[in-house]
Amino acid sequence: MPEGDTLRGIEDAIVRGDGERCSALVQKALPETDPLTIIQKGLMPAMEKIGDQFTCGEIFLPEMLMAAEAWNEAMKLLKPRMLAAGESVSTIGTIVIGTVQGDVHEIGKNIVATLLSTAGFEVHDLGAEVSASKFIERAEEVGADIIAASAIMTTTMTYQRDILEHLKASGLRDRYIVLVGGGVVNQEWADEIGADGYGQTAMDGVRVVKELISKKRGK
Amino acid sequence: MLSFHEILERATRGPIMSPKDFDMKVFIPKVREVVEKYKIRYDPETPCPADDELADRIYQAAFDLFADVGTYVLDTQRVIRFDRKEIEEAVYEAPKEAYFGEGPDRCVFKARKPDDSEIPHCHVGSGTDTTEDVALKMVEAYGRISKAKTVSIPSVTTVGPMKSSAGSPVETLAGIYMMRIGREGLRRAGRPGMGIINHMSSCAHGVSTIAASNPDFGARPSDGWLIAPHAELKIDYSSLNQVAYLTSWGANIGQEAGPIMGGYAGGPEGTAIVATAYCFHGILVARATYHLTYPVHMTHVCSTTPDMLYVVSISSQAVARNVGVPYYALGYAAAGSGTKQYFYEAAAYLLAIQSSGTGIEDVHPNKAVVTNGALPIDSEFTCSLGHGMVGVSRKEANHLIKSLMATYLDGIKNPPKGRVLDECYDIRTMKPDGELRSTYDEVIRELQALGIRFK
Repeated sequence: MPEGDTLRGIEDAIVRGDGERCSALVQKALPETDPLTIIQKGLMPAMEKIGDQFTCGEIFLPEMLMAAEAWNEAMKLLKPRMLAAGESVSTIGTIVIGTVQGDVHEIGKNIVATLLSTAGFEVHDLGAEVSASKFIERAEEVGADIIAASAIMTTTMTYQRDILEHLKASGLRDRYIVLVGGGVVNQEWADEIGADGYGQTAMDGVRVVKELISKKRGK
Repeated sequence: MLSFHEILERATRGPIMSPKDFDMKVFIPKVREVVEKYKIRYDPETPCPADDELADRIYQAAFDLFADVGTYVLDTQRVIRFDRKEIEEAVYEAPKEAYFGEGPDRCVFKARKPDDSEIPHCHVGSGTDTTEDVALKMVEAYGRISKAKTVSIPSVTTVGPMKSSAGSPVETLAGIYMMRIGREGLRRAGRPGMGIINHMSSCAHGVSTIAASNPDFGARPSDGWLIAPHAELKIDYSSLNQVAYLTSWGANIGQEAGPIMGGYAGGPEGTAIVATAYCFHGILVARATYHLTYPVHMTHVCSTTPDMLYVVSISSQAVARNVGVPYYALGYAAAGSGTKQYFYEAAAYLLAIQSSGTGIEDVHPNKAVVTNGALPIDSEFTCSLGHGMVGVSRKEANHLIKSLMATYLDGIKNPPKGRVLDECYDIRTMKPDGELRSTYDEVIRELQALGIRFK
């Protein structure tokens, strides 16, 4: 199979969420194609397509999660090759994400985490009911650029403010970009608590993160 | 029916699984399988299907789903599994009526059927965030609506200068405060015995709910307490603690299940099946004597788009035809309070659920996220339409819904904000101002011209 066909096959396998086929095609492509090309021409176009289809309501969360699983299968094969070849597995940025203390709602956060990881970010998903100190502790541990906190209830959004206050109290506020989101959150709230960004939808969140990280790095 | 003790036993003895494996390896594949097996296809032209056979297929698909998937317990990371006979027995033995309130205000909430000729149970009010200064007046205004049988009291998220946070002591105080306000408001309205059936919107955690249920604060077992599972088919110990307490007290328990369209359940077909499966979960796990369903669109976060009307309509029909328990549905409008678009969205939703065999509740304006965004005039509209459209068939409802949607679908993405209570009511008399009354009267005339009846 010519290289172009194999890369299109990888793209198709990810879009269909077929991890097995995706792995087989990546293995087939690897002897002749360098891992970075596979990522740029096979994996990335697939996730762009998935993102567009999700935004238009043509597919839903299960399809997106299955595509992300297929992506992960491919990356398991590609990362060691890149490291062995002395190439850096660079990411756009490192993000610590979770749903705030007292809030168990994870779906929106999971979508954002999935989109970010397939957009080239290193994502550390802390799950639900994450305290302010845990967000910061993990961000320090992994050298994160961004802390993203989701809240879906009026009685839990106050915990987003806690994260910012904890950061200020520890003298770490300037070290992190803080992004907030969730059903009850809006730009006014983000401004009121001093967050750096707010995403109304999952796709919005990814866009804002990309903009903020570019700005931080002066690009 | 399986005892609650047996449920708790299974919660600590069932198969161990990570939440991710439950979603990805069990729940999602099974939903996809039953959608295909039972050939469920959403038709955007028919938001309110009049198809008994389709409703029964949805029911069978939901039955298969729940029998294979069960309920995931977040705290123990175990799955409570049920065999088919246990689910069948639960459906057979589930309470078919629920009784709320005391004395002359006591009422019975009965199961209905699609195309039913009985007046639906009219439930009014909202657990929307409300400021302390108007909360009492709001409850009083709800209580004065004579067609209303039961009421939801608002949620307050402050206690004086303190802001409530989930799980904090301030939340417990807010829950207690709201319970007292709720009962006092109904006393002032002359209906002290009326059942308050949304305990407790001010409380996210079980401990606050349990604290607020002390009879000294005005709570009674003949009120109703809502238990919320997590998306999808998951429950935690906080909710099971509430069930343990409420069953020991002999109180009414309602399950409030809001499957997310576009989430783990997938599209409208899967979401309709999951919404139906929640009824089994409610009977067996939450020990519900009544059931509230509120499927929500993941992106629009409202329930008046054609796919969402389909989900709530066909799943309600599946439950009404095959289970027959007290069941009502809550919708979220994109448009804000007092706008024409709100009333059009509300009319579409109410017609869909009433004709599909449920009780009715006020459609919440502004996706229920605006403080003081719910108005007593919403309740007037709900009850007036519910009584006027008694006997509405699914076929007639579908026709009317399509006419209504033509007026508002373009406005879903950027809906009008409307005005909050303080901006359009005289708080002293709780009467709407001239502008709101005039909009309301105009909307009623327009809707009557479409063929919608009010009483």
